[in-house]
Amino acid sequence: MLKGTLDLLVLKALTLGPMHGFEIVSWLEQRSNGSVGVDDGALYYALHRMEERGWIESEWRLTSNNRKARYYRVRAAGRAHLKTEGALLEKYARALVDILALRTS
Amino acid sequence: MRNTRRLFHLDPLSRRLARAEMRDELAFHLEERVAQLVALGMTPDEARAEAIRRLGAAWADADAQLEHSAELKERRLNVRERLQEFADDVRYALRGLAARPGFTAIAVLTLGIGIGANTAIYSAVDALLLRSLPFAEPGRLFDIVQRSSEDGDAAWSFPKYAFFRDAQKSYQSLAAHGPTQTIITGTEPERVYAEEVTTAYLKTLGVRVAKGRDFPSELDAAGGARRVTIISDALWQRRFNADPAAIGQSLSFNNQPWEIIGILPPDFRGLSGRAEALLNLTARPADALSEPWSLEFSMIGRLREGVTAEQAVAEAALIGPRIYDAFPMQGGTLTTSKKPEQWTAEARPLNTIRVAKGLKRSLLVLFGAVAMVLLIACVNLANLLVARAMSRKQEIAVRLALGAGRGRLVRLMVTESLVLALLGGAASLAVALAGTRMLSAINPQDTLRVQGLTGGIGAVGFDAIRLDASALLFTFLVTVSVGLLFGLAPALGATRQSLVKDLKDGSSGSGRRTGAGRRVLVVAEVALALVLLAGSGLMIRSLGKLLAVDPGFDGRNVLTLRLSMPAGTVSPDSMPGFYERLQEEISGVPGVEQVAIADCPPLNNGCNGTIMTVADRPQSATGNAMVGVHWASQNWFETMRVPLKRGRLFTAEDRLNAPKVVLINEATARKYFQGEDPLGKRIAVYQGGFHTGAEIIGIVGDVRFGTIDSTAVPDVYISYGQARLPRMMVFVRTAGDPSAMAPAVRAAVQRVAPLAPVFDVRPMSARIANASAQARYSAVLLGLFAAMALSLAVMGIYGVLSFAVAQRTGEIGIRMALGAERGRVLALVMRDGAILAAMGLAIGVLTALALTRVLRTMLFEVTTTDPLTYAAMAVVLAMAVAIASWIPARRAARVDPVIALRKG
Repeated sequence: MLKGTLDLLVLKALTLGPMHGFEIVSWLEQRSNGSVGVDDGALYYALHRMEERGWIESEWRLTSNNRKARYYRVRAAGRAHLKTEGALLEKYARALVDILALRTS
Repeated sequence: MRNTRRLFHLDPLSRRLARAEMRDELAFHLEERVAQLVALGMTPDEARAEAIRRLGAAWADADAQLEHSAELKERRLNVRERLQEFADDVRYALRGLAARPGFTAIAVLTLGIGIGANTAIYSAVDALLLRSLPFAEPGRLFDIVQRSSEDGDAAWSFPKYAFFRDAQKSYQSLAAHGPTQTIITGTEPERVYAEEVTTAYLKTLGVRVAKGRDFPSELDAAGGARRVTIISDALWQRRFNADPAAIGQSLSFNNQPWEIIGILPPDFRGLSGRAEALLNLTARPADALSEPWSLEFSMIGRLREGVTAEQAVAEAALIGPRIYDAFPMQGGTLTTSKKPEQWTAEARPLNTIRVAKGLKRSLLVLFGAVAMVLLIACVNLANLLVARAMSRKQEIAVRLALGAGRGRLVRLMVTESLVLALLGGAASLAVALAGTRMLSAINPQDTLRVQGLTGGIGAVGFDAIRLDASALLFTFLVTVSVGLLFGLAPALGATRQSLVKDLKDGSSGSGRRTGAGRRVLVVAEVALALVLLAGSGLMIRSLGKLLAVDPGFDGRNVLTLRLSMPAGTVSPDSMPGFYERLQEEISGVPGVEQVAIADCPPLNNGCNGTIMTVADRPQSATGNAMVGVHWASQNWFETMRVPLKRGRLFTAEDRLNAPKVVLINEATARKYFQGEDPLGKRIAVYQGGFHTGAEIIGIVGDVRFGTIDSTAVPDVYISYGQARLPRMMVFVRTAGDPSAMAPAVRAAVQRVAPLAPVFDVRPMSARIANASAQARYSAVLLGLFAAMALSLAVMGIYGVLSFAVAQRTGEIGIRMALGAERGRVLALVMRDGAILAAMGLAIGVLTALALTRVLRTMLFEVTTTDPLTYAAMAVVLAMAVAIASWIPARRAARVDPVIALRKG
């Protein structure tokens, strides 16, 4: 996976609402039909790093089946990062796709 | 979780906690993943292995890998939590204060007044005593005086100044200077203050002219030099509209032209603080500067680089006696003492003479008093907070039991007192502003002189008092210290407690310990209040005695004004006619009853005087007989209601060429004519042409011309009819309010003397008031502080007793149930108050006896141990305490035993 992509994917996931780590992983796997593989350990590093930077915050809550879990929520700084970096990545990806398309034809 | 922790104000997350959280999180993830994989068909063991693999390093060595992250997190949490905690504490404190508006209002008001008064007095102390002199390198500026073993400090004559200047090696620059008054003549005549200076004056002080140039040094050579002047910025604005072309123009002082060579900077008006012009001293004719015993100038010097103060002092002591040898007093000295008079010179830092000693002392006394008031206010607040902490005992115990640290609770409570103090500090600024405005407006220089408060540098004046950065810093520091002072003790006391007991019995804890502490505080309060009461009582009694002094005349309904005739306006021979015309013209003003002229007003301190000899008596018999010499018109005594004791007053017959006559006062008769009849005797006074002798024609009552607290001195009066003097003060006795007559009288004077400036127009009553101004200010301020102290102490006693009654309701109920009468219960509480008061009084009296000694020089005809004052103040305090105890005592006596027992 590209450097920094994981952060954006996680932030994107969190814009849907507060989630705990496993929910995030499951959501990503589901949305990409398993094509985006996230290393669980890497996910937690990313979560903690982003919390450190103030992009997200966490809180212990009960899950729907009454278990304690750490929920993450995106903060304003995280949204801003997602917006700017997301746009850059999108541009980059489109360019990449275009270039690759040129070669195959 | 965080909310819970916040709720109980627990310590912030420890590192351990942060790491445990992370493990919990990963464990939860692992379980979820395993469950998912099992659901997909894996065996639990396979699923677990797979889940761990996916977590990878994070799980394998979580300790090592997560260490860093946990540490960062902890640090961040710490900072954020502490900030949050502080904000929470402040919010909690504000909420608590808002919930008790009565207490908060009293506390903020007490602190506001207490701190504000301190700041105001501090700004006066700063401006008058502390702030460095407004000159370049003020530490190198020295004032040099002559000193006589007979009369103390003495001024310099020009020849002696020149001798010292040429003999010394310590100063890079020296200047003689002396205040003077002159008249700007021509259109709009105006009397102005000025300074006569030698050319190095500004250079020595390190002041540069704003425009034009400094005095050229060649003018110093001798008398009769060019008349050049440097004028003040104010004068330049006023008379020249700030026109730069004023430089080089000529300005007429006393009908002589002076060339303006420079303009002073706006903030400098000479060391006198009020000079409108600096006049070249050597412009005087040479013979007016050559008299070595005409001592009229001060001397300042700027030390040379590298010369120490000690060297300068030693050098002055060496040069001093040489000056006397060079200019011995002719005809021997006139001293009465056996030892010959010794003359020397003394150098002292200019800073040490910045204000009169008496003024410095009053300021420091007031500063001490106002600090004591604040101390009492702090004690009071500490008391209130102790009471509050005790009522919160159970809450505190719950918090402690839930794991809140003691430090954390102390911090919470101290925050509360700091918030309270800061509110008080903010409120105090209004008080301080009003106070500094008031202080800077009082005590113009004339007021200081008439009270004998001389010796200071006019440039260091009350008008420099303001609320500046240093005063604000002072306020802030005092506020914070006060907050800590009254907050810390109760907080420490309240958190040092037995958990179990307090949890169990809630708010009715006996509080013996803190109770005793509060009692000590109240005793201290009463003692401090008594010290202030005694001090103010002494000042008020002293003021009463000052006001009761009979000055020897009746100053009611008398308007006074000064008049100065510019040189050459009226020829000397027509002066007597001029006096007549002046009095006639003023008499014609409706509402004027009597008009008289004298050269110097009573209570002026600084009237003219000289040596008197009695005919046919050897000089040694009278010794150095100094008398005040006063010019008076013939009806002055009648106008001022000064009684004639024997003989006759001046009449119209006592003219220029008639035989010379004088009046003396009773003090002269007492001192120089013991057992003799002075009437008909001849005396000589060396002024006004009376050195040839004059006959004593009458004896009048003593009038105080000096300070009001001085004793009557020998005075001799001579008549304007027989001696000319261009200087005169007009006394107008009016039918109604003298101030209202001022414009009409002024107009009458100007009709007779259009070229003479009229100034210093004041009712005599204002002069009398000025004579005791400082005593009045001190007494009023001290009285105010004492009243504040008294009411605070009363509040303190009331608080302690009320609280004690509330705590002992159960006990009182039992006593009453067992048959104690209401009167006995009343007495019980009253006795409690009386014991506190008695201890406070005893300690207070002892402290006051020791401390009021500093007032000794400020008191007039009152000793610092005046028993009447002490007794009166003790009674006042005892009565106040009795009232303060009566209210809670009555409440105790009304306790209903049934209700009290059920509750207890």
